[in-house]
Amino acid sequence: MLLKLNHIYKWVKSGGRRVFLLNDLNLTIEKGEFISLMGPSGSGKSTLFNVIAMLDTFDEGDYFFENETIHDLNSKQKTKLFNENIGFIFQAYHLLDDLTVYENIETPLLYKKIKSSERKALVADMLDKFNIVGKKDLFPHQLSGGQQQLVGIARALIIKPKLILADEPTGNLNSTQSDEIMQLFKDLNTEGITIIQATHSESNAAYGSRLIKLLDGSVNNK
Amino acid sequence: MIRNYFKMGLRGLKNQPFFTLINTLGLAIGTAGGLLIALYVYDELNHDEMFADSDLIHRIDMEIKFGGAEIKSAESAAPLAGALKNDFPEVEQTTRFRIQGSNLFRDTQKTDNIKELHTTYADSTLLEMFDLELIHGNRKTALKKPNTLVMTRTAAENHFGSVDVVGKNLLLNNKEMYQVTGVMEDLPSNSFLKDYTIFMAMAGNVASREDIWGGNNYFTFIKVSPDTSMEKFQLQLDGLLEKYVLPWATRTFPGMTAESFLASGNYIRYHSIPLTDIHLHSNNKVEMSKVGDMQNVYILSFIGFFLIFLASVNFMNLSTAHSLKRAKEVGIRKTLGSNRGQLIIQFLTESGIVVFVSMLLAVLVSSIALPFFNDLAGRAISIPFENPMFYGWLILITIILGLISGSYPAFVISKFAPIDTLKGNSFQTSSKWNMRSVLVVFQFGVAVFLIVGTLVVFQQLKFIQNKDLGFDKEQVLIINDTYAAGDQVNAMRQEILNLSAVQNATVSSFMPVSSSRSSTSFFQEGKMDQQYAIQSQVWKVDEHYLNTLDLKLISGRNFNGQFVSDSTAVIINESTLKTLGLDAEEALGVRITQEVELGEPLYFKIIGVVQDFHYESLRDDIGALALFMDRSTGYMAIKLKTADLTDILSNIENIWASKAPGQPFDYRFMDDAFETSYKEEQRLGSIFMVFTCLSIFIACLGLFALAMYNAQTRTKEIGVRKVLGASVRQITFRLTLNFLKLVGVAILFALPLGWYFMDIWLRDFTYRIQVGWQTLGFAALLVIFIAIFTVSFQAIKAAIANPVKSLRTE
Ligand SMILES: Nc1ncnc2c1ncn2[C@@H]1O[C@H](COP(=O)(O)OP(=O)(O)OP(=O)(O)O)[C@@H](O)[C@H]1O
Ligand SMILES: [Mg+2]
Repeated sequence: MLLKLNHIYKWVKSGGRRVFLLNDLNLTIEKGEFISLMGPSGSGKSTLFNVIAMLDTFDEGDYFFENETIHDLNSKQKTKLFNENIGFIFQAYHLLDDLTVYENIETPLLYKKIKSSERKALVADMLDKFNIVGKKDLFPHQLSGGQQQLVGIARALIIKPKLILADEPTGNLNSTQSDEIMQLFKDLNTEGITIIQATHSESNAAYGSRLIKLLDGSVNNK
Repeated sequence: MIRNYFKMGLRGLKNQPFFTLINTLGLAIGTAGGLLIALYVYDELNHDEMFADSDLIHRIDMEIKFGGAEIKSAESAAPLAGALKNDFPEVEQTTRFRIQGSNLFRDTQKTDNIKELHTTYADSTLLEMFDLELIHGNRKTALKKPNTLVMTRTAAENHFGSVDVVGKNLLLNNKEMYQVTGVMEDLPSNSFLKDYTIFMAMAGNVASREDIWGGNNYFTFIKVSPDTSMEKFQLQLDGLLEKYVLPWATRTFPGMTAESFLASGNYIRYHSIPLTDIHLHSNNKVEMSKVGDMQNVYILSFIGFFLIFLASVNFMNLSTAHSLKRAKEVGIRKTLGSNRGQLIIQFLTESGIVVFVSMLLAVLVSSIALPFFNDLAGRAISIPFENPMFYGWLILITIILGLISGSYPAFVISKFAPIDTLKGNSFQTSSKWNMRSVLVVFQFGVAVFLIVGTLVVFQQLKFIQNKDLGFDKEQVLIINDTYAAGDQVNAMRQEILNLSAVQNATVSSFMPVSSSRSSTSFFQEGKMDQQYAIQSQVWKVDEHYLNTLDLKLISGRNFNGQFVSDSTAVIINESTLKTLGLDAEEALGVRITQEVELGEPLYFKIIGVVQDFHYESLRDDIGALALFMDRSTGYMAIKLKTADLTDILSNIENIWASKAPGQPFDYRFMDDAFETSYKEEQRLGSIFMVFTCLSIFIACLGLFALAMYNAQTRTKEIGVRKVLGASVRQITFRLTLNFLKLVGVAILFALPLGWYFMDIWLRDFTYRIQVGWQTLGFAALLVIFIAIFTVSFQAIKAAIANPVKSLRTE
């Protein structure tokens, strides 16, 4: 088991009433799975991702990540756990505009205080793997959307995460680019990385090994 | 990692070249201004510190109440120094100065005199006590003998063309022979001796050895032994009155006893003032050199501080304007594993780089601007590059400014949770906008304040220049040092009078601009008791004085050279009239005398009353003045018929050359001389203006950048509005209005403050303007105009942009 969510509730107060964003959500994910998370807009996919990534809190329920009970950790410990285990890929790429491709990929290593020589080797590996060696000195705005997302994925992978969370990674891409990214995910998955992706596209979802449907903040088992 | 912070910092700056430029420029200009002011203030505060043991040297000042008059004086009696040295073991050395003003000196090998403006008798202890080294000569013996003198390098070069001149002779005022016994370096520009070029041995001044405690003409300096308690010393000074002054007074004034002196409320108090306090904390009518004013130091410090602060406010402002982008960056970086500390360091590195570069630029800018600033401030300040403390301060200021300027992104934005920032705009609540608003309001508030200040200073100066002074200073030429013509003065006056352009001329040492002064107390006949004494200026003038200077008689008549009896006549001013308690007609025929001694006193009969005229600074009330017809030949004032000077000057100079051959011809115009006495105010006004412009410039830089950023972030909104049919004018108006509201708030709080503080400043002047609503209104309009100009440029640019373009780029 990689992670397990038990009876998770998350709500916001609106006019004195609770509006549930996550409503009694139960979910277990094993190591090595490739999950496709689907559901209508507003069903809570992004919210769930943020909870899994420990970027956001929940109000009730238990969350286990490997052996840790997340709901008992303080924010520093959560951050550490996140930084060591989870890579996040955004629909809007969220590359740092001021940094080159190379530097964007290198940044997480800097924060992990990894030595310069080792950094070089790791980044070079990544550039190689994603065939973007030629683009390493370009800035994000000089890249196509698909290329930017490649950089985003490379950046998420460089810390060798156990889990990749991809929130609509191809939402801004055309279908060819989209298929390339999906193929990449599949390859990464066979290398052993657990992946959860949120998507609106049936064809993208088909790349996954398991499909989970979300409706109104809980897993729809029908 | 450090290297990476720098790399990222530089990259961030490079990618916002415009903002980086504005930040750097604003900070550089602001700190350059601040630096100049700091140097000025430092110079003012460290006056006279260069003398060895300056903290052990004090001057003895006096407060005297005698007859009706209270006098504060930096000068004291000749025997005081000797008494102090004798009676007080803690007094190690004393030096007295007896100021001699300007004198003519002539190398005996040459025929022409050269005028030295500031000369003084000084005790032989001068050189050792103030540790003044001689380039040539022996300082132990240099000022011992009568008729010897020590001169500065510049003076020596002027007279002899070299400095190795010990043993050479100089003729003083064509009469007295002096031998040069020493040459010293020029005296530092921030010392009380800065003006002085020639020091003559006190031994040659007979009066300096007389036991007369009545005249106060000697600046008396003492050097005390280390560890002396000045409070104790101060208390002991009171004993001088009883031991020396009263015995002398009872000997000199028959009928006076110590009891009668004290009974009528009279007193003489001595107190010491540290040498290093004199420049900013002493303010007597007569000082050895022009003193400064602590108030100006405060005002300038205030301006300097705000200049720097304005610039860092710009920085903060632009940072908050950028917070949307920076917040997103914070979010991304945090998801990539950065912690808050690392982000803080990164943001501070960024601001640190800008501040550091700005400081380098500021030092460069201020070195370039220094000569102009010195000119403006009338100082000889230099940047202390050789002083390690200077660098210490620079580094400290860099760190402080870096912290302040980078504080917003470093300490506020870095706190944001990634989830909020990555979602988009939701975090940019109105509170961020408020912070920026406060800063803009603050900046423009300072600008408004400084504009009000500048306007008031200049209006006051103009008021002074245009005020009816009671005499006519226009088209009056003053020839200096006419005594050099000896008994030819009157012949010279006659010849000058014959020139067609000359209307009138008068000879006197006393002019209503800087010139000789002499005061005494006198008594009305029949009211000879001390308590009726009238402290008054007594001027010796000729019978042409009133007409030449256009002084108005309110009763009686002018002097007449034909009347022998007029040698015992006196003309008083209104002020004296009031003190006498008479009206203008009653006063005529009343007799006054200066003497209370034995025998029949010499009485002077009042023959006229002259309307008050401002013979001293407009800062002071017009004091009592009595004019006597007597010979005194310091100056000749010549009233000209025209302002056209084409031939007059050379004609007058020719006459001078024939009547006073070999004497330097030196002249000034009365109106210029008048303005010179307000030099400090004029300087303050100019400094005010320059730095006001600077601060407005900095504030505008910030506003300009903010407006640009505002327009940029709202291109989409503007595009949508245009598509919906808004006109360029409507959009410009909308964009400009927001900023104008802020400027309006700034005006509302800054105007009353400006009014309040400038009113305090004006209280220094007896004759002053009121701060009018026109001034305040003008300042407000000026700022509004500047703000509109700055903002609308950006607004119009945004408004006329093609909406289709802006919408597509989003
Ligand atoms: N801070 C918040 N306050 C109130 N409601 C919120 C907040 N955050 C999210 N929501 C609501 O929670 C619901 C789930 O949002 P979420 O972003 O998780 O949906 P999603 O499944 O990712 O949708 P999409 O497919 O459009 O990305 C939405 O109805 C949203 O309006
Ligand atoms: Mg979503």
